[in-house]
Amino acid sequence: MSQVFALVGFFEIVLVLFMQWEIYTRKIITTFSVASYVVAAFLLYLGVSKDLPYVVALSIITAVVRGFFIPWYMKRCIVRDQWREREIKPVISTAMSIIISLLIVVFAYILYRVTFFNTLHLREGSIPMALLLQGAFLIISRRNAFIQLIGYMTMENALFLFEGYLFPGLPFIIEAGVVLDLIGVIAIAGVVVRMMKDSSSDVNDFDELKG
Amino acid sequence: MLVFLSIVQLLYVLLLSPLIFGILAKIEERIESKNGPSIFQPYYDLYKLLRKEIVVPNHSSPIFHVAPYVSFALYSSLTLVLPIITDFPLQFGPIVDFIGGGLIFGAAAAIKKLASLDSRSNYSHLGLSRAASLGALSEPITVLIFIMFGVMAKSNNPYVINNVLQTSSWWYLSLTHWFVAAAFFMVLIVELGRLPIERHSTAELGMIDQGMSMEYSGADLAFEKWGGYVKKFLLMSVFLNIYTIPFFVPVKVNLGSILVYGGIHFLKLLGLIVGVAFFEESISKFRLFKNFDYIAFAFSLAFMSFLAFYVTVGRV
Amino acid sequence: MKAYVYMLPTIISLAGALLCLVRRVFFEEVVSIIASVSSVFAAFTLLFLPNHFGTFLYVDGFSKIMLLLVSVVYASTVIFSTTYMKYIENPLFEKRFYYLLMNLFAFSMMFTVSVNNFGLMWVGIEATTVTSALLVATENDESSIEATWRYIIVVSVGLIISLLSNIFIYSVSGTLNFGTMLNHGFHVDRILIIGAMMAIIGYGTKAGIFPMHTWLPDVHGRAPAPVSAIFSGILLAVALYVVARVLEIVNVPMVREFAFWLGLLTVLVAAMLMVVQKHYKRLFAYSTMENMGMVLIGLSIGKYAFVGAVVLVISHAFAKSSVFYLSGNILSRYKSKKISDVKAVSKRMPFTGYNLMFSALAVTGTPPFGTFVGELLIIYGVLKYFPTFYAFLIVSFLFLAFVSVNYKVGTMVFSESDDVKVKERKRVGTIVPMVNTILAFLVIFFIPQIQELLSKGMIR
Repeated sequence: MSQVFALVGFFEIVLVLFMQWEIYTRKIITTFSVASYVVAAFLLYLGVSKDLPYVVALSIITAVVRGFFIPWYMKRCIVRDQWREREIKPVISTAMSIIISLLIVVFAYILYRVTFFNTLHLREGSIPMALLLQGAFLIISRRNAFIQLIGYMTMENALFLFEGYLFPGLPFIIEAGVVLDLIGVIAIAGVVVRMMKDSSSDVNDFDELKG
Repeated sequence: MLVFLSIVQLLYVLLLSPLIFGILAKIEERIESKNGPSIFQPYYDLYKLLRKEIVVPNHSSPIFHVAPYVSFALYSSLTLVLPIITDFPLQFGPIVDFIGGGLIFGAAAAIKKLASLDSRSNYSHLGLSRAASLGALSEPITVLIFIMFGVMAKSNNPYVINNVLQTSSWWYLSLTHWFVAAAFFMVLIVELGRLPIERHSTAELGMIDQGMSMEYSGADLAFEKWGGYVKKFLLMSVFLNIYTIPFFVPVKVNLGSILVYGGIHFLKLLGLIVGVAFFEESISKFRLFKNFDYIAFAFSLAFMSFLAFYVTVGRV
Repeated sequence: MKAYVYMLPTIISLAGALLCLVRRVFFEEVVSIIASVSSVFAAFTLLFLPNHFGTFLYVDGFSKIMLLLVSVVYASTVIFSTTYMKYIENPLFEKRFYYLLMNLFAFSMMFTVSVNNFGLMWVGIEATTVTSALLVATENDESSIEATWRYIIVVSVGLIISLLSNIFIYSVSGTLNFGTMLNHGFHVDRILIIGAMMAIIGYGTKAGIFPMHTWLPDVHGRAPAPVSAIFSGILLAVALYVVARVLEIVNVPMVREFAFWLGLLTVLVAAMLMVVQKHYKRLFAYSTMENMGMVLIGLSIGKYAFVGAVVLVISHAFAKSSVFYLSGNILSRYKSKKISDVKAVSKRMPFTGYNLMFSALAVTGTPPFGTFVGELLIIYGVLKYFPTFYAFLIVSFLFLAFVSVNYKVGTMVFSESDDVKVKERKRVGTIVPMVNTILAFLVIFFIPQIQELLSKGMIR
């Protein structure tokens, strides 16, 4: 089990690094969809092999909402020519953000090693923490709303990996998952679509929202 | 016996290396539905060049003229110390380990760069500065990879590493190993000068390595080109024999099995170049400055092997 | 006493929300007003009932105070909305959805302060994000959508952090039930401490505490006035309620010091940023941040400072909601959010102008108002447990905030202008803020009752 977890976890980390590398929104969305499916498959395997029905439920939520629905809806929302829908000037340059993302993984490992390892005794535990921080960095390093949302949902995936593998049996996690996904859906349906409609303006033009 | 095998290996590499690139060119042309040149075209080119007159720029020093031969000699000497068709050290095997091999590669590259500086041609300088800045960033990746192999095999001898990966399926299947292999593949693409880094067509302003040999002619150019083929052949062989498919390499001194493996190795290389050809046909070239993103990603893959080692194996 | 009595305010607001779906003219406004006012009465009667600790509910004195506070501000906001909604030219959705979301928003806040489980508290806080996100975007122009986006993304990240803290707390205690944890106690180890710190950062995001406060001024600057009022009045306080509960369980000096530092940094950052603000709604938003920092300091110190924090929360909620209502009135008259564009409010809108001056004095902690007493108690606590230097630091930055808010409000209210026609009638939009300002003053007479509620749980 721990080897499968390490495999899945490192695959996820590489996918996030790949997202940092990519500039086309559509490719990032597809990458995220693949990442969600992998997490769902792992959770399904975990739930079936350890006989935890709620982990299976989490896996289904992950596959349906974050694997299928949100990427599909996002792709539908991309109204412009797909080769134009991209991050032209990221906040941090691409090479730099890949390296920072890598350093975040190292930082998460060290953090985990000095804090949780003494009580959990699971070597792989640093992977979900790394993914959480990487997702947060994806939000910081990009301006495009879609990519920011994907960073948020990457954090969510990481959270479920964390919970399902390290702390099985947490109550309310399904409710929490549903509510977290609800926020994602509301964010897309209510806000991002409207932002995309007049995406001509640069996000930085809002003089009032400064200071 | 070992001396004889060394000569066999040297001839194997020197004679087959142009053929591999002839086949690669042919495959790519076929994928593009063109007829393409004969697979022996590199031999014809070399033969023609060897008969031509040598022209040297007015202002250049002797380094310019000597460099192709020195680098060719350095690559040939590398042929004697790497596991190409044998998995036991040949006569000169104990001279250097992996790090030493890397240093010889570096020396050959440095001599080439000096020569292209010496040519006083703007195009050469353009290619040189690009190659130097890419190389400065991709060298650390190679060093990381060597360190990781040292961790895995507790040695930096290529033969030992090959042996460890051949015998221990645990190491062979470990994440650490595959991150290293993936990172080396990305570096390999840079070193081979293939897409998405560099395109081999005429009138290419994005040229990197081709720019450096712009001023050469005649036999100088022939050896420069041949040295390039040998270098790429060696890197591909190392990638196959040490990183990805370490199997079937003969461990015992046995002429028959070594000859058979010579054929198998050629098939492995064919498989790799078919893969490279399809990869190359499916992507387009990066803009020059995006190459650094590519290298950053390769670096992070190499570094991930460290993390994978700590996470899955733990401290040693 | 039956458990449902304690659920009454919550249930009423939920029922009000559902009734808003009925498609009839003005029906949603009437229903919302009735629901909110009756939830005020229900919450008020709770003050005189004993505490209730069930498996699902945990209602002690603190919860009761928060319930009453939420319902009062909710009621005044609904009443103020009835006049303000007509100034919004191109709303994002129909009016009844605005009231539906407003009722649901109040419901999720009341739910949060009365449940007996960190998991459910988290769900409640998350539900406030879900319901309030679209309220921020009501005005439906580009920058308000952008502000909404920043709100969603920053707050969601904060909430993921707090969910993580829930996981950590659970891994140590084996339960998320607040009452059980309080009674049994458990071994304090490193994971628990980290969990509590993450909870402070995570829920602090929602309360505008320093490292993740960036969404707060944007949202308060762009949301319609009643929404800004309900945000800064009670939403932030509800988030800090959860922080207080976490501090109650993880009673470790290290965690408390961590909370103190975050609170201190919040006060410093907010007070410094207040000086350079050019838009009045953003100015008031930073003032909210500064007050929340003070509240966090009070919660981290405990004892009398805790009482001070509660008093500060109550009086700040009234005063700040009044300030935001008034800023809505000014915006609808002057059509500008810049301080430099607003001149001679006392001449053109006398009630609004003088009321704004008083309530601005109230939010900055001027003596006759409850905020002064609250801040005094908190600073007393700081003096007692920390070196004098820190108290001096806090007081000097509070003074800086006082000067910058009141100077800027003063230039808005008392400056001269060519156009001084009085165009203001006594209507709901001027009376509601006036009531709230007076309530912020009246709080000082009820400090003994607050103290009694916090220590005994009910008023006899």
